[in-house]
Amino acid sequence: MRIVRKAAVLAIGALALTACSNGTAEEPGDDAPATADADTEITLWLNGGDTNDELRQYLIDTFAAETGATLVIEEQDWNGLVPRLQTALTSAEQTPDVVEIGNTQAPTFTNAGAFADLTELYAELGGETLLQGFVEAGSVGDQVFALPYYSGARAVFYNKDVFAAAGVEVPTTLEEFTQAAITLQQANPNGVANFSGFWFPGQDWYNGLPWIWEHGGELAVQEGDQWAGALSSPESQEGLTEIQRLFTEGTNAPRDADSNEPWVPFNNGEAAMFSAPTWARWSIDLPECNKGVAADDTSDAANALRAEQQACNESKTGIFPLPGMEAGTPATVFAGGSNIAIPTMSENQELAQELLRIIFSDDYQTMLAQNGLIPANTDLASALGDDVYAQAALAAALDAKLTPPAERWADVEGERLLEDFFQQVASGADIADAAATTDQLIADTLN
Amino acid sequence: MSAPTAPMNGGPATRPAGAPQPAELPAPGTAPAAAALQRRPGGRGSVARHLLGLLAVVIALVWVFPIYWMISSSFLPTNRLRTPTPTFFPVDGTLANFRAVFSDPTFAASFRVSIVVTGITLVAAILFAFLAALAVSRFRFRGRKSFIVAVLVVQMIPAEGLFISQYQMLDSWGLVNHVLGLTLVYVAAIVPFTIWMLRGFVTGIPIELEEAGMVDGLSRTGAFFRITFPLLAPGLVASGVYGFLQAWNEYTLALVVMTDPSKRTLPLWLQGLVEANRATDWGVVMAGATMIAVPVIVFFLFVQHRMTSGLVAGAVKG
Amino acid sequence: MPGQSTGRPVAAAPPSMSVAPAPAVPPRTTPVRRSRVPRLGGYALLLPATLPIAVGLGYPLVVQLIRSFQEYGLAQQFGRAAEWVGIDNYVALLTDGYVWTVIARSVAFCLANAALTMAIGMALAVLMSRVGRAARITLQVAMLLAWGTPVLATMTVWQWLFDSQYGVINWLLAEPFGMSGMRYHSWLIEPLSFYGVATVIVVWMSVPFVVFTVYAGLLQVPGETLEAAQLDGASEWKRFWLVVIPMVRPVLFVVALLQIIWDLRVFTQIYVLQRAGAPTRETHLLGTYIYSLAKEFSMAGAMATIMLVLTLALTAFYIRRMLREEEL
Repeated sequence: MRIVRKAAVLAIGALALTACSNGTAEEPGDDAPATADADTEITLWLNGGDTNDELRQYLIDTFAAETGATLVIEEQDWNGLVPRLQTALTSAEQTPDVVEIGNTQAPTFTNAGAFADLTELYAELGGETLLQGFVEAGSVGDQVFALPYYSGARAVFYNKDVFAAAGVEVPTTLEEFTQAAITLQQANPNGVANFSGFWFPGQDWYNGLPWIWEHGGELAVQEGDQWAGALSSPESQEGLTEIQRLFTEGTNAPRDADSNEPWVPFNNGEAAMFSAPTWARWSIDLPECNKGVAADDTSDAANALRAEQQACNESKTGIFPLPGMEAGTPATVFAGGSNIAIPTMSENQELAQELLRIIFSDDYQTMLAQNGLIPANTDLASALGDDVYAQAALAAALDAKLTPPAERWADVEGERLLEDFFQQVASGADIADAAATTDQLIADTLN
Repeated sequence: MSAPTAPMNGGPATRPAGAPQPAELPAPGTAPAAAALQRRPGGRGSVARHLLGLLAVVIALVWVFPIYWMISSSFLPTNRLRTPTPTFFPVDGTLANFRAVFSDPTFAASFRVSIVVTGITLVAAILFAFLAALAVSRFRFRGRKSFIVAVLVVQMIPAEGLFISQYQMLDSWGLVNHVLGLTLVYVAAIVPFTIWMLRGFVTGIPIELEEAGMVDGLSRTGAFFRITFPLLAPGLVASGVYGFLQAWNEYTLALVVMTDPSKRTLPLWLQGLVEANRATDWGVVMAGATMIAVPVIVFFLFVQHRMTSGLVAGAVKG
Repeated sequence: MPGQSTGRPVAAAPPSMSVAPAPAVPPRTTPVRRSRVPRLGGYALLLPATLPIAVGLGYPLVVQLIRSFQEYGLAQQFGRAAEWVGIDNYVALLTDGYVWTVIARSVAFCLANAALTMAIGMALAVLMSRVGRAARITLQVAMLLAWGTPVLATMTVWQWLFDSQYGVINWLLAEPFGMSGMRYHSWLIEPLSFYGVATVIVVWMSVPFVVFTVYAGLLQVPGETLEAAQLDGASEWKRFWLVVIPMVRPVLFVVALLQIIWDLRVFTQIYVLQRAGAPTRETHLLGTYIYSLAKEFSMAGAMATIMLVLTLALTAFYIRRMLREEEL
């Protein structure tokens, strides 16, 4: 009985609190601070663990030193980010003061008016030296709202032993690449069941894009203030024909799968090549190299074994940027990465701009590069280093391209139109018909 | 922040010594049909029963297979989860995934948040629904029928897009990133279900029992709380199970309401293990899910007997 | 079990999260005493429940309804003025042939799943009432586990089971059962096969609720009634259909009603399976379709209203009947 009564009091108390918290909600202290002190706090939302602790600490320390105010970094998950931004950015109370956002999400929020105008700051923060595709994604007309934060590019990983056994060389043109995939699959030197020359699942449109772009095609083009799907253009069709050939002869990956975890079949020996962001190097785990170290074992011996394992994996795995039409040029691949912006609702615009100055400083950009991320400022990308991964990433990234900067592009991805389309191509559909239908759907969605 | 734990933990203990046990409830029929169905003469029936028992066990094994696969996966390193030949028995398994879960400080923090949110939600939802159920089953007033229908209709409206206006409302009251804010929307979601359920239980308890108590000198309120309320224990437990699961596993509202990483609930924590820009350690995810399921399962097993009897009381008496 | 892996609000509970059996037979023992209680007492008792429902659910629902008559998207959330468009959103949806396709699919999927869930649930409930204690508890525990485990985990496991390359089901079919053609079978690529897989998962998650409720109902049928029927010489089958079923019918009504409501707006299972590699447009049901419109908030709101009407149409018969039997 007593428990129940207490519960009742508590529940009713909760309700009362709900009712009167209206009055207490307006907390003081968020007014734009002319002179900042340590009590003034601004919040930065970073997604996932790409910005590591060293980078975060640098931002916190530098921000405190330069402004005297406090920087709070809150890590958000990429999963579910959109609903969070959709709600939090509309609230003056809750909005972060600086926010990282996926590059394909940037146009939607930029066009909706979620971000403050950074046009005046643009030149100071790097101007033309910044990754232009990302700048475009964050712009409306001549105004810039979201700037690039970092980029990552896809490169092709391959199994050196399988290449040698099949007598295949690293391809130097896109055509050679397709041929290599087909040759590898036919050779299947280890006699593996359901072997793929190139792991290319049916819904993996990110990895199919280079063929469209290299042949001069596009996903969608702007005509006046309207967008139109461009998969039916002769250039796109040429690329799609090649893609279908690759699907038919160069891969045995399931048609009902997407680009997730392509290293799994690679590790299992069921694929000779896969394409992924360069961080996938840490996921390569070939059985012949595995030392069986427990994941939570942090002893020196375990770490030594781990280093040995990684070295073994990397010695057996090669990486190259997807080649373009001409020998010696990298293909235009899809750029992953993120933008960074100041939400309109933030009440600390000036401090937020200070933080951007720190982020776009040469020091921080160099640190990003040293941590394997392609920095916004392309002049400083050389800090990536000169190992094969950095070189492959850099070659791919400098020519990388984003999805069309249409306001509603995120809806195309939300409706998974391209996943569906590529799946049809993989299933042997008539390319012209499928493209015409999808072009129509894209146009309906974008306009 | 401290809060009461789930009320059903204290369920049995809250019954005053003098109150009648649920078993003493004057039931309309004495021997339940299930028992009667089982009471069949002859050895042939007994063989049939064993065969049926075997069938039941086989069905149980088929049903539990996906759960078995989850638990089995939680003992394997991630590179053995998706291989050409599946691993059916993790005989050479590892506890590393569980160690990873327990050494993650955010797991414990999220666990606390989840317990608090679930606890408050449960207490409030059960109490409010209980009072409403009492009103619609013990009182007669204008609008009673409309209320019951409204409660049903509210459950029919798809709520996929509702989180935006719910967020705006909580934000205008400063309840975002606040346990009470999340609790409010949870209570709103759970109460309609619970009213329908509890209504049956309240109606099932004869008002004469209360009247007898009042003859013995109890006030009306006293009679209700001393006599009727304890009889509802199974019903409250049964409703509690639904509320518990609902609040414990909810994701979308928690996602937009609890943006502060220190206020994540367990489903957010679990989803956070699924990486976007690097490889997800699925073994750890499965271990985490198993650990989230454990309280649910323990709770289930603990109240299982009472829930069944609770369902019984509400089911046909109306 | 709300869809924590995917994003559905708590109110849109999938089948397994459920209301218990609602009462359905007119009260035999409790006539309402209208003279004994003050008239306002009833309203006072409703207040604590009504308040959070009205505030936490009712108000957002009203806002959703109002916005379904506006043009309201992301830009409006960031302060652009919302324009009144009358019933344009509704017209746009209802004149779109694709929407009708989705509605037809959803109704078919809902009826098939609700029927299957009810049939299996009732069969297992009867089975449960006829086996020994050990077998019963085993079955109950299995059901409880399927019911109470976080959906993120169970859906991930289901994905693994039906995976084309590494799926356990393909492996079992190909290796021990020798159907080598099934070794790399794509379960999700054909809409019909997709719905088959979805049905397996939805039924797997929904049946436990039905089993427990119906089993409880069976326990409640007075033994004397059955014994009397037995003495009258009624066969076991007859006793079941003529005595037991009519007595648990009210429970069956409520359970079936809830199954229809939940299966019509099934979301999580479909959403996750689509992302596991199914063709999206060919597999949308109402729940996932509304979700894909969620950035166009006003459209999603209009779709939700349409769905409410649809649900009412599908269940009106049940509701009227239930209300009648309840002497409201």
